Amino acid sequence: MQGSYFTKKNRVKTCTNHILVINPGSTSTKVAVFQGARSMFQQDIIHSEEDLKPFEKISDQYEYRKNAIINVLKNNDIDLHCIEAVMGRGGLIKPVPAGVIEVDEKLKYDLRHSPIGEHASNLGGLIADDLAKSIKGARAFIANPVVVDEFDDIARIAGHPLFERKSIYHALNQKAIAREYAQSHSIPYEELNVIVAHMGGGITVGAHKKGKVIDVNQGLDGEGPFSPERSGHLPIGQIIDKCFSGDYTEKEVRKMVTGKGGLMAYFGTNDTREVLARSFRGDDKAKLIYDAMAYQIAKEIGAMFTVLHGDVDAILLTGGIAHGQDFTNLIRDRVHKLAPVFVYPGEDEMKALAKIGTRVLMGELKPLKY
Amino acid sequence: MNQDLILVINPRPIFTRVAIYQNYNVLFLKDIMHPDQDLGRFSHYLEQVNYRRDKILSELDENGICLDCIQAVVGRGGLMKPVKSGIYEVNDAIVSDLKSTEYGDDHVNLGGILAKEISTLYPSMRSFIVDPVTVDEFSELARFSGHPDFDRKSIFHTLNQKAMAKRHAKALMRKYDEMKLIVVHLGSGISVAAHCNGAVIDSNQALDGDGPFSPERTGSLPIGDVVRYCFNSGKNEAEILDMLHYNGGLFAYLGTYSALEVDSMVAKGDEKAAKVFEAMAYQVSKEIGAMYAVLNSEIDGIIITGGIANSRWFVNKIIDRVDNMGTVHVYPGVAELDSMAQVTLSALRGDEAILDYK
Repeated sequence: MQGSYFTKKNRVKTCTNHILVINPGSTSTKVAVFQGARSMFQQDIIHSEEDLKPFEKISDQYEYRKNAIINVLKNNDIDLHCIEAVMGRGGLIKPVPAGVIEVDEKLKYDLRHSPIGEHASNLGGLIADDLAKSIKGARAFIANPVVVDEFDDIARIAGHPLFERKSIYHALNQKAIAREYAQSHSIPYEELNVIVAHMGGGITVGAHKKGKVIDVNQGLDGEGPFSPERSGHLPIGQIIDKCFSGDYTEKEVRKMVTGKGGLMAYFGTNDTREVLARSFRGDDKAKLIYDAMAYQIAKEIGAMFTVLHGDVDAILLTGGIAHGQDFTNLIRDRVHKLAPVFVYPGEDEMKALAKIGTRVLMGELKPLKY
Repeated sequence: MNQDLILVINPRPIFTRVAIYQNYNVLFLKDIMHPDQDLGRFSHYLEQVNYRRDKILSELDENGICLDCIQAVVGRGGLMKPVKSGIYEVNDAIVSDLKSTEYGDDHVNLGGILAKEISTLYPSMRSFIVDPVTVDEFSELARFSGHPDFDRKSIFHTLNQKAMAKRHAKALMRKYDEMKLIVVHLGSGISVAAHCNGAVIDSNQALDGDGPFSPERTGSLPIGDVVRYCFNSGKNEAEILDMLHYNGGLFAYLGTYSALEVDSMVAKGDEKAAKVFEAMAYQVSKEIGAMYAVLNSEIDGIIITGGIANSRWFVNKIIDRVDNMGTVHVYPGVAELDSMAQVTLSALRGDEAILDYK
C-alpha cells in the first residue's frame, strides 16, 4: 500500500488519473484503487453465507455491499478526491459492443432488472455510479461485460430458428489478455487473429479476428467444454429426457449445467488442483476426467481455428486453471501445430478494468452510451 | 443353381432401398416408394415390418429375381447396444433390441428386423447386419460429457464413413488401419468423425446429441435454452424430440429437407438460403477443427462424403475453412449398399469373421 493515499491532511488535488474499481463476485466484493496499471490499494471483502442470508435476491444486497465498500475505504483512509473514474464490473445486460460504457439511468435499470438473469456483477455498475456521484468530477463506467457481442451473423445460427447462439463469455479477461499479447508483440490487437481460452470456474474459447470476438462458446449454460462448475454441452436428447423425467425441477436441471456441473458433478469439488492431486495419488477416474477437460478445450480451440479460416497468430491460455502446467501441456500437445501457444496464468479483472479506465481518462477510448 | 445372390436392404422414412448383388456387381437396385396413403395406416414405423417385407418381396418377384437363389440378406444396422465394427448374424437379441427402441428410435432399426423376417421365409437364407450406427470404438476421453449423468455415445454413420475411408485408403494403396483421417458424412444427418488407425475414436453424436445441424436435425443447441424450452414451452417430450430429430436444421429454416434444393435456391440468389446453408458449412467446419485436435493435429486427410457432397458450393465453403489442415478428398454419394454387400460376401466366403451379438 502506497503512503500517498493515507494522508489525512486537507490538500489540493494534485493526484490525477486515479481509478476506483468495484468488482462484486458471488461471495466477495473486490475493491481497488489504481493509478494507470499500478495498484495502489486492493482489498477483497469476503461475504460469508451468514452475511448474505438475509437477502432474497442479489439486487437486495446493494446497500449492504455498498456500505461494506465505503467502510473499507474509510478504514484505510483512502483519499477519494483523487478518483476520476469509478469502474464497475458489468453484468448481465443487453448485448453490447466491446469497450467501455458510461453508467446512465437506462443502464442502471437493466442492471437492476436483468433481461437474462441475476448476477452479482450487476451490482458493480450500480455501486460505481453511486460512489462516483459522491466524488466531485468522477464518472462511473462499466467495461467489457460478459454480454459483449461482436459475433458474425453466421455464428448466431444454432440449428433451429427458435434458438439462437449468443455471445456470453469472459470478455473482460479475454480482451485484456489478447491486448497484452498484442502489446508484447508490438502488433495492434486490431490486426491480430488469436484464439483465447479463458479457463476459470467457467471456460470460454473465443475466436478474436482483428480485434473482434466473432465466435465463442456460450460459457454460461450452453456450449463447449465442461469446466470446474459447469457441464458445457450435454447430449441434447438426454437432457430432454432429464427434463421430462419428472424427477427434477427446472432449477435442478439448470443447476446440473451451471453451478453443479463439470468437476463439481464428478468429484464434488471445483478445485482443479485437487483433482490433479487425486490423479497423482493413483485415482484413475480423476486422471481421465482431468484429461477429458483438456481434451474438450482442445476440441473447442480446433473449432475456433476453422472459424478463423486457419489464419491464427497465437493461441492464448489464461484463467486460474492456466496455473497448472500439467493441464496447459495437455492442451498444448493437441493444438500446438495450429499456432504458437502462450500461457497467461490467472486473471486480473481489477487491473483489466483499471487499464480500460486509464485509456478513457487519457482520451484513447471513447465511452459508449448504453 | 447357386447364384450367390445377396439382398441388401436400407430402410428410409418414406422408401426402402433394395439391391441385389452378385459377387461385386449390382444386378438390381430400386427405391421402393411408400406413399402417404400406405404409411398413414401406421402410427409407428415398427408396425410397417410386414408391409415393407411384402413390398420388397413382390418387387423382387415382379422383376424376375429368383428369391430362392438369395444366399443372404443384409440389412442396415440400427440402434442397438454399442458393438465392435464388423458383420453380425441377426439373432433374437438383435431383433428384440431393435424393436425395443431402448437404444434409439429411428427407421434405421427396420433394417435388421426386415432382414430377419425375410430370411425366415427361406430355409437356406442367412441374415446379417453390418456396422450398425452404434459401432463404438470411442477413446475413453471421448465418453465424458461434462456431467456423470450423461455420457457421450458413439452414434454416427459408421457404415458409410468406414466404407468411404477404406475405399480412399485403397485408392492410395495404403491401409485404413494405418491412417488418421477425418471423415465427414453429409446426409439427412451429419457426422464428423476422427478415424485413428482403423478406429473411430470420436464423432459427434449425429442422432440427437451434438455437432452441426443437418437437413433435418438441429445438432447442438444451447443447453440452458433447451432446458427452459422443455419446462416452459408447453410442448411434450415427443414433440420436442421430433423437432430436434426430424424438423430441425435446414427444414426448420427453409422448409425443405433437400440440401440440393437449397443449393439451387442459393444459385438463384436466395440470400436467406445462402446464409443458412453457409452456417451449416460453418458448423461442419468447426466440427472438423475439433476432430483435428482429437487427432493431435496430425492427419492424412479429410474425406467429405454423402449426398450433400454433390453441392460444390457447400463443399467449397467447408474447404475454405479447413484446407490448411490437410488434403480434402470429396467422394459424393454413399457407399452403404456396396459396403454391406462386399462385407457379406467376404463373410460368406470365410474371409471375414461373423461376430456374435449378445
